[in-house]
Amino acid sequence: MTEDSQRNFRSVYYEKVGFRGVEEKKSLEILLKDDRLDIEKLCTFSQRFPLPSMYRALVWKVLLGILPPHHESHAQVMMYRKEQYSDVLHALKVVRFVNDATPQVEVYLRMYQLESGKLPRNPSFPLKPEDEVFLAIAKAMEEMVEDSVDCYWITRCFVNQLNKYRDSLPQLPKAFEQYLNLEDSRLLSHLKMCSAVSRLPYDLWFKRCFAGCLPESSLQRVWDKVVSGSCKILVFVAVEILLTFKLKVMALNNSEKITKFLENIPQDSSDAIVSKAIDLWHKHCGTPVHSA
Amino acid sequence: MAQQANLGELLSTLDSPVLSERDEVTAIFKENLNADRGPMLVNTLVDYYLETSSQQVLHILTTLQEPHDKHLLDKMNEYVGKAASRLSTLSLLGHAIRLQPPWKHKLSQAPLLPSLLKCLKVDTDVVVLTTGVLVLITMLPMVPQAGKQHLHDFFDIFGRLSSWCLKKPGHVAEIYLVHLHASVYALFHRLYGMYPCNFVSFLRSHYTMKENLETFEEVVKPMMEHVRIHPELVTGSKDLELDPRRWKKLETHDVVIECARISLDPTEASYEDGCSVSHQNSARPPPRAADVTASPHVDPQNSFGSVTSTPHSASRPMSSTPGQPPPPLSSPAPRLSAEAPQAALWSPSLVCGMATPPTSPGNVPPDCAQPYSKAFGASGGKGTPSGTPATSPPPAPPCHSDDCVHGPCPPPTAPHARKEERTDPARPCLHRQHHLPNDRGLEELPGSKELPLSDLPGFLGGLASEEDSIEKDKEEAAIYKELSEITTADTEPLVPRGGFDSPFYQDSLLGCPRKTPSATAGAQGTSVHPESFNSSLDKLGPDTPKQAFTPIELPCGGPDESPAGSRERQTPPEPRILTPSPFRVPSQRGAGLSSGQPPPYDHLFEVALPKAAHHFVSTKTQELIKKVPGSSEGAWVPSASPLEVLDRLIQQGADAHSKELSRLSLPSKSVDWTHFGGSPPSDEIRTLRNQLLLLHNQLLYERFKRQQHAVRNRRLLRRVIRAAALEEHNAAMKDQLKLQEKEIQIWKVSLQKERARYSQLQEQRDTMVAQLHSQIRQLQHDREEFYNQSQELQTKLEDCRNMVAELRLELKKANSKVCHTELLLGQVSQKLSNSESVQQQMEFLNRQLLVLGEVNELYLEQLQNKHSDTTKEVEVMKAAYRKELEKHRSYALQQSQRLDTSQRRVLELEAQLAKKDHLLVEQKKYLEDVKLQARGQLQAAESRYEAQKRITQVFELEVLDLYGRLEKDGLLRKLEVERTEAAEAAEERPDCCNNSGSGPVRGHSDAVSGHNGETRPPRPGSTRGGGGSGSVGSGSSGSSSGSSQLSTPEKPPAQRAGPFSSRWETAVGEPSASIPATVGSLPSSKSFLGMKARELFRNKSESQCDEDGVTGSGLSETLKPGVDAGVEAKTPLSPDGPRPAPPSPDSVGQLRIMDYNEAHQEHS
Repeated sequence: MTEDSQRNFRSVYYEKVGFRGVEEKKSLEILLKDDRLDIEKLCTFSQRFPLPSMYRALVWKVLLGILPPHHESHAQVMMYRKEQYSDVLHALKVVRFVNDATPQVEVYLRMYQLESGKLPRNPSFPLKPEDEVFLAIAKAMEEMVEDSVDCYWITRCFVNQLNKYRDSLPQLPKAFEQYLNLEDSRLLSHLKMCSAVSRLPYDLWFKRCFAGCLPESSLQRVWDKVVSGSCKILVFVAVEILLTFKLKVMALNNSEKITKFLENIPQDSSDAIVSKAIDLWHKHCGTPVHSA
Repeated sequence: MAQQANLGELLSTLDSPVLSERDEVTAIFKENLNADRGPMLVNTLVDYYLETSSQQVLHILTTLQEPHDKHLLDKMNEYVGKAASRLSTLSLLGHAIRLQPPWKHKLSQAPLLPSLLKCLKVDTDVVVLTTGVLVLITMLPMVPQAGKQHLHDFFDIFGRLSSWCLKKPGHVAEIYLVHLHASVYALFHRLYGMYPCNFVSFLRSHYTMKENLETFEEVVKPMMEHVRIHPELVTGSKDLELDPRRWKKLETHDVVIECARISLDPTEASYEDGCSVSHQNSARPPPRAADVTASPHVDPQNSFGSVTSTPHSASRPMSSTPGQPPPPLSSPAPRLSAEAPQAALWSPSLVCGMATPPTSPGNVPPDCAQPYSKAFGASGGKGTPSGTPATSPPPAPPCHSDDCVHGPCPPPTAPHARKEERTDPARPCLHRQHHLPNDRGLEELPGSKELPLSDLPGFLGGLASEEDSIEKDKEEAAIYKELSEITTADTEPLVPRGGFDSPFYQDSLLGCPRKTPSATAGAQGTSVHPESFNSSLDKLGPDTPKQAFTPIELPCGGPDESPAGSRERQTPPEPRILTPSPFRVPSQRGAGLSSGQPPPYDHLFEVALPKAAHHFVSTKTQELIKKVPGSSEGAWVPSASPLEVLDRLIQQGADAHSKELSRLSLPSKSVDWTHFGGSPPSDEIRTLRNQLLLLHNQLLYERFKRQQHAVRNRRLLRRVIRAAALEEHNAAMKDQLKLQEKEIQIWKVSLQKERARYSQLQEQRDTMVAQLHSQIRQLQHDREEFYNQSQELQTKLEDCRNMVAELRLELKKANSKVCHTELLLGQVSQKLSNSESVQQQMEFLNRQLLVLGEVNELYLEQLQNKHSDTTKEVEVMKAAYRKELEKHRSYALQQSQRLDTSQRRVLELEAQLAKKDHLLVEQKKYLEDVKLQARGQLQAAESRYEAQKRITQVFELEVLDLYGRLEKDGLLRKLEVERTEAAEAAEERPDCCNNSGSGPVRGHSDAVSGHNGETRPPRPGSTRGGGGSGSVGSGSSGSSSGSSQLSTPEKPPAQRAGPFSSRWETAVGEPSASIPATVGSLPSSKSFLGMKARELFRNKSESQCDEDGVTGSGLSETLKPGVDAGVEAKTPLSPDGPRPAPPSPDSVGQLRIMDYNEAHQEHS
C-alpha cells in the first residue's frame, strides 16, 4: 500500500466526517505520475474510490487498454487510434453506411460492427440485441466523454470488457436474489409472490449496465467499478434500487407493473442509490485490496 | 318690581293660619335665599319682622346661610343705630345668636358689635339695655377673642349699668331694675369668668373712685360674694387671658361652663360638672345648711318657708293658677307646705331611706350625702349629673337641669325629695302610686299595690279623683286628656330616640329602676333591683316603648299622664323634653297647656313667651309673682343671689296670685295685678309688655345657657360611656387575669409535680449510676489484674523466646564447627593422598635421573669418540643450505607480491562484474519496458491493422458487390457477344482459380520470393527495377509475361513487375509510371484508395483488353476447381463468376492473384 503511506493521514478523518475524495485525487495524481502506469493499482483505486471526473477518461482509457501504460507512447498510440477511427469512419462513409446525418451513436455502432466484422450487408438490416446494448451504452458514453474518438474507443473497449464477463453475467440474477434476500427478504418474497423475480429488467441492469436507467452522472460511478473489472457492482445497484423504491414496489402487485416501474425509476435519488450501492458492495464483497 | 310685589304677598301669606301654606312660603323664601345672593330679600325680611315680629320670618332669619349673614348684620347694624327699632333688632340679634349660626365668628369683626356696645353705653332704656346686655353676654363666649379689642367697652358698660342699679337714673321702673340687676349680675359673672385679671383690675381701678364706692358696696359686692376666686387670678395674667390661643381650645359651651364654675350660686353652679360639683356640694351642704341660703337642703326648707323654692313647687301654683279654682291651687300648696317640713327633714333621709330602710328620719345632711351618693351614685357616679336624665341622654339633661334647677347635687336630693313631696303631698296613695310604677318593676312584691303600667294613668286618675279635690280632678282630667294626647304623641317618638336607639337603653333601664326603687321603694332593697329590673323589662317589653321607658319617665314624665294634681308638676318637664325649642310646642299646646300647665318659670318662659298676648300677660304675672318673693327674700336674705331674688319674686307673686287673683280671668288678673302693684293703669300694659320682654330675654338667655349645658352634657356622657366601657374592659381583663392566674396556679402545681417526678427520676438515675460506677470500678480492677498477669506471662514468653534464640545460635555455631572440621578433614586427607603420589613420583623421577645420568655418561663417551670426522661436511652443507634458503626466500617474496596484485585484480574484476550484472538487469528492465511500450504501440498498430483488414474486407465485399452488379451488366453484354462466351468463361475460370487456390501457394511463394527478390534482382533486369514487392505493377507485369511465368508461380511479383509494368505502362499510359513507387513504399489508405480507383480503372481497361489476353487462360483453367471453391466461399455471387470470368483477360486474372497475394500475406 504505497499510496496509503503517501496519503494524508487526515484522510481517515475526512472520510469519517463525510468528505470523500479529498485525498483520492492526490493519490490518483501520484499514481498517474508513475511512468509505467500500474494498471493493478489503478484498478484497485478505481474500485475503492470514485474517480475524479477530470481523470476519469484517462483512467478508463488506460484501464480499458486504449492507452498503453507508458506515457511516452500515449501520443503515438492515440494518434494511431485517431487514424484508425478516421479510417473506419471514412470506410463507412465510402460504403455509404453512414453519412453526415447519421446519429453519432449509430456511427459508433457501425464502426464497431465494421471492426468486429459484423457489419451487415445493408444498413437497413434489423439490429441485433447486442447492437441495442451497444447503442444504449454508446449513448450514455456520449454524455460522459466529449471527444468522439475517445468516446468511440471507450465505448468499444467497454463493450469488449462486458463481453469478457459474458460468462459471469448469467450468474448475476442469482447473486441478485441472494443479496436481496440478505438485505430484505420480505421484498424478495413479495417479488416472488408476484412472480416478478424472473421478469425483472435484468437485461437493462446487467447487459446494458444501467445505461438509460440511471443518469450519466451516477452511472459513471458505477461504470468506474465495471471498467476496473467488477461486474458485481451491478448486482448491488440493482438491489439498492429495489431497496430504495421498496415501498412503491411493495405497493405494486403486478409483475408487469413492477418491471415497468423499475425500467423507469425516478432519477432524483440515483446518486444516493449509487452511493448506497457502493457501500453495500463494499460491505458484502469487502473493500477491494490491491490484489483484487 | 314684580318680585317686590310678589314678596309682599308672600310675606303676608307667611303668617297665614294654614300650616301647609305657611310651610310652602317658608320653603319658597329659603329657595330664594339660596338662589339670590343680594341683600334685598334679607332686608325685606328684616323690615317685615320688625313690623310684625312674625315667627316665620324670625325662623327664616335665624337660619340664614353664609352669604346672607353679612347683609343681615349690616341691616341690623343699621337698625340698631335707630332708637325706635333698636329693641326689636336686639331681640332679633339675640335670637340669631342663640342659635349659634355658623357665621358667629364673624360677629367680632362685624360693625354691629361696636354699635351694640355704643348703644349699651348710651341708651337709657332699661329694656333695651337689659336685652342688649343679655345679647352681649350670650355673644361673649362665642367671640372670646374679640374681648381684646372691646374689653374696656365691656367694663365700661358693666360700670355704667351697675351704677344704674343703684342710682336709677330717670324714671326707671323698679320692676325693670330687677331685670337689669339680674342681667348685670350675669354680665359680672361672664366678665369675671372670662377675663378675671382684667376685670378685677378694672374693678379695682373703677371702684376705688369715691363716687363709685357706694355702687360697689350696694351692687358689686353682693355679686362678688357669689363667686369664688378665679384660678386665673393666681396663675394667669392680664395679657395671658387675652391670648387668643387660650380661647381656641375652648368652645362656646366650654366658656359658659368655665364661667359657671366659678360661681358659688347654686343655681348658677348647678350647671357645672356633675361629679366635681356634687362632691363640692356634698361637702358644702352642712355649712350651707347652717347658712340656710341656697344649699340643696335649704332649698326645700326655703321652698317650705316660701312655698318651695324648687321649680316644682313654684310650678304647682302656676299650674293651678291658670284658670284654676283656688282649691286645687291652694290644696297642693298647703299640702306641700304641710309636707314641707317632712320633706325638709326627710328629703335627704327619704332618699337614704329608700336606699337603706334602716336609716332613721333623723338622718341629716352628712347621711344624706351618702345615701344620695349611694342611690344616685350608680348613675351619678358615671359622671352624669342626674341619674334619670342619663337614661335618655339628649332630652334628659335639660329635663333634669330644669327639673333640678338648684344644681347637680341638690337636684338628686331635691327631686327625690320632691318626688316624695309630690307624692306625699298629693296623698299617701299618691306616694304609693308613685311607688307603684317604680315597684311595678319589682313585680308582685308589693302585692296589692301592684299595677300594670298601662293602667297607671287610669289608676292614678282614679286615685286622684278619689283623693284629690273633685274640682281639681275635673280640671286635671281635662288637662290630662289634652296632655296625654300630646305626650303620647310626643313621647313615643321621643323614647325610641332617646332610649331604644341609644346604646344606653339597657343602661338607662338599669339605671332607672336602680334609682327609682332606691328613691321610691327603698324598702325593697337594692338587692332586688336586678330582678325587678328584669321583671319590669319583661313586663314592659311587650308594651310600648313609652311604657318601657316609664320607669324612668315616671318620676318626671309618668306623672304627666296622670290627671292627679301632683302630676301636673311633672308634666312641664315632659313638654320641655319634647320641645326644647319654643317654636313647636306652643302652637300645639294652645291655650290648654298655658292655662293648665304651670311649669317652672324658665320652662314656662320657653313655652309661654312666644305666645300670643294673653299668654304673655298671664306668664308675666306669674313671673312677677315669682320675682316678688325673690325680692322679698332678697330683703329677707340680703346676700341672696339675683336669681334667687327672681325666684322668690315669682314665688311670692304666685302666692299672692293664688290668693288674690285665683278666680280672675287673665285680663282681669292683669287688672288685678295692676291693682296689686299699684302702678298707674295707663302705663300698665306697656310696662308689663316691657317686663315680659325682659323676662323673655332673660329666659332666652337662660335657655341658651341650658343648651350649652346640654352640649356639654353630651360630651360628658360620651366620657361616661367610654369610662363604662373601660370599666367593662377592666373587669373583663380582671377576669382574664384571674383565669390566667388560675392557669398559672395549675401550671405551678403541675410544675411541682413534674419537679417531684424529675427529682425521683434523678435519684433513680443516681443510684443506677452509682451502681454502674461500682461495677465499672470492679471490672477495671479485674482488668488491671488480668493485664498484670498477661504482662507477666508476656515477659516470661519473651524470656523463653530469648532462650530459644540463644540455643539456636549455639546450635548453629556447633553445626558450623562440625562442618568446618569435616571440610578440614577432607582437605587434609586430600593433601595426604597428594603428598603420597608426589612421593611416588619423586621416587620415579629419581630413578629416571639415575638412568639418564648413566645414559648421558654413555653418550658423552660416544661423542668423544665420533666428533672429529663430520665437522667439514657439515659446514659445507650448512653454507649450501643457507644460500638455498635465501634464494627461496626471495622467490617467496616475489610470489607473495604477485599474489597480492592478482588478488587485487580479482576484486576489481568482481566489482566490475557486479556492475555489469546490475547494468544488465537494468538493461533488461529497460528492455522489458521498451518491449512493453513497443508492445503497446504494436497492439495499437495491430488493432489498426486489424481495422484496416476489416476495412479492406468491407471494401472487398463492396467491390464484390459491385462486381456482381457489373457482371449482371456483363450478362447483358454477353447476349450481345455470344460467340465469345466460351472463351470468356474459360478465362474467367482460371482467374477464379488463381484467386483462391493460389492463396496458400502464394504464401509460400511469397516467402520464397523474398529470397528470390534478393537473389534475383539482376535477372528481371527491368528498366525501373521497382523495389516494391507487392506492387500492382508486378501483378500486371505478371499478366503480361504470364504465359511463361505462370508455370512458376513462386516467382516473386517483383520480378514480374518489371516486364508487366513496362508493358502496362505502355498499354495504359502515363499515370501508372508514378504510381508504382508510392504503392511500393507505403500502404496508406490513400494509396489504397488510389489503388482501388486504379483497379477500377483497370477493370475497365482490362475489360477492354479482355480479348487480348485470352492466351493466358490455359494455366488458369488447370487450377479451375480450386478457384471455384474459393470464389464460392468468398462471395455468393460466385455462381455468376464462371460466366464473366472467361471473358476476363489473363492479365486481369493475374492482377487478381496479385491482389490476393497481398491480402493473403496480411492474413498470414
